[in-house]
Order: sequence, then structure tokens, then C-alpha cells
Amino acid sequence: MLVPLYGFLHGDSLGLIVLVHDHQLVGDIIGCLQQAALPRVAPHRHAVVVHRGVRLDPNRSIAEVGIEPLDRVDVVPEGA
Amino acid sequence: MLKRDEWMDLARKLDWELSYVDEAAAFPEVVSGHPWLANAAWVEWDEPYRTSYVEYVTNQNQKDAAVYAVRDAIGKAEDFARHDRAWASAVKLHTATLPLAEFAAVIGNLRAARFGRDSAWRTTAAFGALDELRHTQIPLLLMHELVGSDLQHDWAHKFMHTNDWVAIAARHFSDELLLASDPIELAIGTNFVFETGFTNLQFVGLASMAHQVGDRMFEKMVQSIQTDEARHAQIGRPVLERVLAHDRAYAQYLVDKWFWRSWQFFAVVTGFAMDYLTPLGDRTASFKEFMDEWIVDQFQRSLDEVGLARPWYWDQFRSATEIYHHMVYASAYTYRATVWFDFAVPGPDERAWLREKYPRTWHHLDPIWERITERWREAGPKVEWYTHGVTPVGFCDLCQLVLCGGTPTHNTAQTVTHDGRKYILCSDPCRWIFEREPARYAGHKDVVKRILGGEAPANLIELVQSYFDLTRADWGKDVAGGAYPWLKPKEQL
Repeated sequence: MLVPLYGFLHGDSLGLIVLVHDHQLVGDIIGCLQQAALPRVAPHRHAVVVHRGVRLDPNRSIAEVGIEPLDRVDVVPEGA
Repeated sequence: MLKRDEWMDLARKLDWELSYVDEAAAFPEVVSGHPWLANAAWVEWDEPYRTSYVEYVTNQNQKDAAVYAVRDAIGKAEDFARHDRAWASAVKLHTATLPLAEFAAVIGNLRAARFGRDSAWRTTAAFGALDELRHTQIPLLLMHELVGSDLQHDWAHKFMHTNDWVAIAARHFSDELLLASDPIELAIGTNFVFETGFTNLQFVGLASMAHQVGDRMFEKMVQSIQTDEARHAQIGRPVLERVLAHDRAYAQYLVDKWFWRSWQFFAVVTGFAMDYLTPLGDRTASFKEFMDEWIVDQFQRSLDEVGLARPWYWDQFRSATEIYHHMVYASAYTYRATVWFDFAVPGPDERAWLREKYPRTWHHLDPIWERITERWREAGPKVEWYTHGVTPVGFCDLCQLVLCGGTPTHNTAQTVTHDGRKYILCSDPCRWIFEREPARYAGHKDVVKRILGGEAPANLIELVQSYFDLTRADWGKDVAGGAYPWLKPKEQL
């Protein structure tokens, strides 16, 4: 299933739409969002996905961690 | 012979007792507005201008003649072509968002001219409708002269008829404020909040920058409009005072709601012009300095005078004046092909000025401009796409603007669920407005929902061309095509 998300990259000026499939890994969201924000923000090598205040395991699938369509996800540098 | 003051009220304040229908039938609350009060409560309503029809027509005729004289002297395409390209872009932004919103105000005022609860109010609103018709016609006339030389000027007329994302946001705002509101909400939202407070940003602040730039046409246009606004804005306060006396909470709600929504509108339209599109040497103050002087100080004074509290989100609003328009501008720059006007990259001198004017927030934005500058340096002039986004962006389900609340390290967007549907709101005040009247807002689809619902294409180029109605000739570009004198190629660094 295709899952549209509101993605917010740390350091960026706006929220973007990220389209992922529910079988993809949480870590894939990082690359998608960083790629979408390239004109404004240089990619950060070590980043994590935060959903409802929880840092997610990048190796679990999007379906497994309970991310739903039109949820907000944040991509932040690991130490932030 | 009677003196003016002795006959004036016969011409403008002539209420009588209804005999065929009762007052509630002639002025039903659903159209006249809440709170519904018998005419006795409005009988003392007055405003200071007390203009007669003859005086109105005479004055307007003189004002129009003055505008036409300036147009005839300096309103040709070759005159406009002399202006800095970034300033020309500020004019295009204003002249698109202005005229048909003013036409919506004609309708709002005509409703008040029939359903306002006092005859002097109705008379002033009738003049207000004529004013707003004039404010529709003047920019359309002036810009029409320029369409032949630059297709972006066509957006003065075309803007509100398109599904461009800025037009969707502008309609969402102006339809509710001007077309759908009753005379009481119109008087408080438009006359008291929008016109008494915010339009000074245009008529004083931006007019002073137009003067500096040497754009006498734009300066004359906004000054001419301002004299009308100053008169019909006087409707607001006497209406607000009566609503306050009978339903304080509702009066406070209307002020809080329309102050936030007006702020967002002006942050984009005026914030862009003052801090980015006016040449640095011609800036008389920053957008925030104008906000502090004309909105924060004056509006607080107005609230104190009528005994209202500051909006509950006042601290958030003050913080937003330091960053919100910067967030939207940086975002829109990298999606400039989705609008009808051009953008400028702030160079080293502009960035130093912005750092000085916004000491608490500019450090959040500077890395973004550094990144954009670096991308231009890598790509070279004319390669617009390298500093342009291709992914759809998110829009607030209340204001319909891009999700730019907060800072780059803490975006304030939040999702809510209503009747099983998920919504995203860019800020606490947008969420508060949405949740106060969800039935009013929940059915509206933002651009993303239209894409997901199959009503609009997901591919950005297709979206821009077939849905936003832009072409390569009129979509927004970098004003210099990336060829800025300060932007040295890598090998010359």
C-alpha cells in the first residue's frame, strides 16, 4: 500500500510530501526526504526517523512501526 | 438655508419603524449577523467621516483624475521596464492578489449596505462598495497596459481564476472574510482588523519603499486606495463596541481569528516585498520593524481603547514576525515555477542586513541560502532546476499555505483527526481556528488532498502547467537567472 506522509527534515523551511510503500523500511524515509530537500538542505549522514515522539528502528518496515497515511514524520540528525 | 450638519442625518441616518414586516424578518440574524439586537441598540451608531453622496462623488472623481494623470505620464511598459527586476516582481505579487479580492469586498460591503443594522452604517458600507470597485479597477487598468510586454502581468486579472496554490490560499481567506461573512463579522474582520491595522503596512510602509525605488505609479495607486480605506475602515470600531457590549467572547473570537489570518496574508504579500524584493539601498525598514510600529503598537492601542485583550497567541505571533515570512520565502524560492512572479537570492550584503534586522532568527535561515547559493555556483547561470524542488509540498488545511510554521529545527505543524479524516495545521492558531468551526473548514481540500484524490496531477511539471495554469513564459524564475555579480564561479574563488 502506498503511504503518503508529511515529512519534516531538520534544518528545512517547510514540510514535504513523502510517498513510500508500507513494506519499505523506516530508513528509506530518510533518503526520500533528504533527496526531496536537496536544494535547501545538505543531507546529514547519520539521521533517524521520529514518529509521535519516538525514534524508530530504521530496519523495521513502515507497516510494522504503525506509521499511517498522512502522519507526520521527522528526520533529525542522530544527536539532535 | 440649512447648514450641512442640520441636513446631513436626513441623507445618511434615516431609520424608520417597519410596519409591513417586523425587524427580525427584515434583518434576519443569519444574514445580519450575531448578536442580533433591536434597532434601539444601534441608534447611536456613527462614524467620523459623515460623507454625503455629492461629496463622495466629487472626491473620488478628483482622486481618479490624479491616478490617471500619473498613469498617462509614467505608466507605460517602457517606464515600468526601468525598475529593478526584483521590485517589479513585488509589484506583480501585489497586483495579482489585490484586485479580485477587492471585488469580493464589493460584495461584502453591498451585503452590509442592505443588512447592516443601522442606516448610517449602511450608507457608509454603500460607499465602501464603490471604493472597493475602484480598487478592483485601478490595478486591473494599470497592469493591463503592461501585459503586452510581460505575460506575468496578466496574473493581475487571471490569478483568482486559477488553481495556483497561492490563489487557493487567497480565495480561502477572502471568500470567508468578504464573500461569506455577515455584516458584523465583515465589520470586525475587515474594517477593524484588516483595514485599520494591517493595510498600513501597504499604504504607509510599502508606499514609502515605492517612493524610494522611484515607482511613482505604484506609490500613487496605493496612496489613492489608502484614502478610501481610511474612511470606510471607520465602520469597524462602532460595530465592535456594540458587539462587545452584548457578547464579549464572540467579539474577542472574531478579532483573534481575523488577526491571525490577516497576519499570514500580509507576511507573504508584504514580507516578501519588504525584506527580499525591494533593492537593499531602497529599504526604509525591515518588515518586522514595520510590523512593530504599525501593527504591534497601534493594534495593541486599539485593543486597549475598546477594552479587548490581546489575542491569546500573542507571544507566538511576535515570534512569527521574526521568522515566518523568511520560512515561506526560502521555501517558495525553491518552488518558484509554481507562482507567477520572480524571486531574488539574498546576496552577502542582503544577508548581512537580514542578520542585523533579525538577530534572533536569521541563523536558522542562513544555511538554507548558503546551500542555494552553493547549488547555483555548482550549476552555473540559467540552470534553474538545480535549485528547484520537484516533490509536492504540504499545505495547511486552514490557511492553505505551505507548512512553514516555527523554525527549521522545530516546525509547528500538527495533525488532527475530525470525523475520521486526517488534517494538518501549520500552527496552534490555525488549529484553534479550525477546531472552533470544523464544519466551516473540514470540507475544503488542500492541494495535496486534491492530488491524492485524483483531481490534480502529482507530477510537479504537469501540476504547474495543467492545474496551476502557468507556462514557461510566465512561471516564476530567479530574477538574475543565477548570474549575480557577487556569485563567483568555483574556479574564481
